[in-house]
Amino acid sequence: MSLFGTTSGFGTSGTSMFGSTTTDNHNPMKDIEVTSSPDDSIGCLSFSPPTLPGNFLIAGSWANDVRCWEVQDSGQTIPKAQQMHTGPVLDVCWSDDGSKVFTASCDKTAKMWDLNSNQAIQIAQHDAPVKTIHWIKAPNYSCVMTGSWDKTLKFWDTRSSNPMMVLQLPERCYCADMIYPMAVVATAERGLIVYQLENQPSEFRRIESPLKHQHRCVAIFKDKQNKPTGFALGSIEGRVAIHYINPPNPAKDNFTFKCHRSNGTNTSAPQDIYAVNGIAFHPVHGTLATVGSDGRFSFWDKDARTKLKTSEQLDQPISACCFNHNGNIFAYASSYDWSKGHEFYNPQKKNYIFLRNAAEELKPRNKK
Amino acid sequence: MTVCQFFLQGRCRFGERCWNEHPGAWGAGGGRHQQHSGGNRRGWNATSQRYSNVIQPSSFSKSTPWGGSREQEKPSFGSFDSGDSTNRNRGFGLSQNPFGTSPTSDAQKDEKKLLEGIVKDMEVWESSGQWMFSAYSPMKKKPSISGFTDISPEELRLEYHNFLTSNNLQSYLNSVQQLKNQWRNRVNELKTLNTSTKIALLSDIKDGINQAEPAFGFGSRQAATFGPPGFPVNNSTSDNAQNSSFTSSGFATAPSGSPSVFGNIPAFGAVPSTSPAITTSTPAPGFGKPEITSAASFSFKTPAASGFGSAGFSGFPAPMAAGPVGAPGAPAFGNNSPVAGFGSPGSHSHPSFSKSFSGTHDGHSSTSTSVPISNGSTTTGNELFTPKHQLTAEELGQFQAQKFTLGKIPLKPPPVELLHI
Repeated sequence: MSLFGTTSGFGTSGTSMFGSTTTDNHNPMKDIEVTSSPDDSIGCLSFSPPTLPGNFLIAGSWANDVRCWEVQDSGQTIPKAQQMHTGPVLDVCWSDDGSKVFTASCDKTAKMWDLNSNQAIQIAQHDAPVKTIHWIKAPNYSCVMTGSWDKTLKFWDTRSSNPMMVLQLPERCYCADMIYPMAVVATAERGLIVYQLENQPSEFRRIESPLKHQHRCVAIFKDKQNKPTGFALGSIEGRVAIHYINPPNPAKDNFTFKCHRSNGTNTSAPQDIYAVNGIAFHPVHGTLATVGSDGRFSFWDKDARTKLKTSEQLDQPISACCFNHNGNIFAYASSYDWSKGHEFYNPQKKNYIFLRNAAEELKPRNKK
Repeated sequence: MTVCQFFLQGRCRFGERCWNEHPGAWGAGGGRHQQHSGGNRRGWNATSQRYSNVIQPSSFSKSTPWGGSREQEKPSFGSFDSGDSTNRNRGFGLSQNPFGTSPTSDAQKDEKKLLEGIVKDMEVWESSGQWMFSAYSPMKKKPSISGFTDISPEELRLEYHNFLTSNNLQSYLNSVQQLKNQWRNRVNELKTLNTSTKIALLSDIKDGINQAEPAFGFGSRQAATFGPPGFPVNNSTSDNAQNSSFTSSGFATAPSGSPSVFGNIPAFGAVPSTSPAITTSTPAPGFGKPEITSAASFSFKTPAASGFGSAGFSGFPAPMAAGPVGAPGAPAFGNNSPVAGFGSPGSHSHPSFSKSFSGTHDGHSSTSTSVPISNGSTTTGNELFTPKHQLTAEELGQFQAQKFTLGKIPLKPPPVELLHI
């Protein structure tokens, strides 16, 4: 399965200024649309690592497929290949050398997709849908870490069908992130666990949730020395918590901020509160982007504690986001995230992935 | 004496020292003052000291309360709450103390704030359109309140797809509707906060929930994870006595907090340390909670029911058939693995799930009971009840007595045998 079916006439021009459509709000930011976007909601996005020349984007969707595009500097996106699972794909990630893509699906398996040969083999098995997948490259080992709704975190050597290690989680795994040597897993019932991966993965600390509602997404950030030092946790209640692992002054250093809420009028009208669907840190600047069910994305500077930008509202929620390896491209997916239940699900609605130039907008604000 | 206008508004700065009359404020007034320095009752020179004991409404503006503020989007983060310094100052003032006579003041103020916070949060939750199937806790670092299950949108969507393929959409719709109703009921309960809800809530918060969140390591099913192996069923109860449910080190210090907790809450004989009395239904029968019958049957049957649980979606099949719940709706989780999606069985989110089930739908109590929750299907003992032989004579005496004696309330849950349903 190499190329996708229909080539939709977009994508060949640099910026999508398709004059006629002014009333429809699917791309108010006038960002580049990726061609041949998936047919159902996009659950995850991932850009290729720096070891691969150029930029390749992988997206997993609820149509059970994983698609790969090459993104050229001109903005042109070329569909390259596709693989299928037997269930919706919930997470994707790249190996460190850029030759393999790992995909996690509701069919309780995870697969390794060799891009050169375009073959995909199963490398992991769980008892419930696999929600997160990450490739760990440690000095003394490499493995795939999968988190699942079966409340386990499993580590797989891709050559064996038995996991190298199984760690129990207190609850279903909802989201995870990994930057060696640290990994964070957020589970249902507001669970939060940090793992240290040196030598072998082990639980480092369980943290009481800084948020009051369900955890939705998590992303690790690094300090000036490029070491992972903390994480940002988003919930369904339009709030993100910034949490440092070992801060000098926890009460002051850790904080939460509200986001993805409708303005409402100053105080009287109740706000609409939306879930934060994804958080991504800019690899160079250290600023972060959040995307929400309200159909907006926002850029923030956590050190200056300010918001850098909020986008216009898209007509669909933004379900996933990702930066490329050097932070020049910000990709975000516009598709229904089920935040309002099945009533608002429209299978006919087109799903989009947009690419935006992120080099300038995410520069940190200078601290006053 | 003239009636103090500020007190009536809930914001008298002088509290007990106020020269005006505070009608009915015995709890509030008496409570607040544990440390008046000798003799400095009404002198103006004591002005500075007045504030030390009293909430200062003016500081409300800075640390904006959770869930309450309606801020517009400004370039800055606006309302970031730094770390732990949240919100002791809600400026809600000093409404009358619902608990009547109660010795310590600070704990009370906290409780009040907590309760008020909960009410506010519920209102916001309802009006904001945010995702309803989420765990909730009134303040960061506190355990979640029971009665709310965590279901992620992806899980719900997967269910939808599965039911769609098995042509059983109607049951999906029914289940979702049922979940919504339970949520609504629980939210309303928390909004209106009558006495029993309050009591249950406070015990939830203080003891740490062992129902909805036993996952957090009360050793229920996953003893393996939690280093200290001594987490057999019984210890879980004492662990509940603190708020920090996560860290294993916390467990070591378990009992310390509890006695005082019980000292505060007058002996309503209702809520022993654990079995946090979730009002919807609880395996804390015999303690005056209305939903007892269904709760009891639910908890007793659990050991036998583990087989059922494996059909993943136990919550969902309930509306469909009163009888063999395992079959319908199960196809989605064909696997029979005990841990299929939806926080199913072994999962402890279910307690609130099925509890709310049994609480509100009596007809379904039989089905909901089959969810092997509260006890975790694997442990043989019931962490909700202590076997008699593990109770000291004194504790046994307490359980057998008509009422608990303040200060002697056992920390462990009662033995099954002593419960009269």
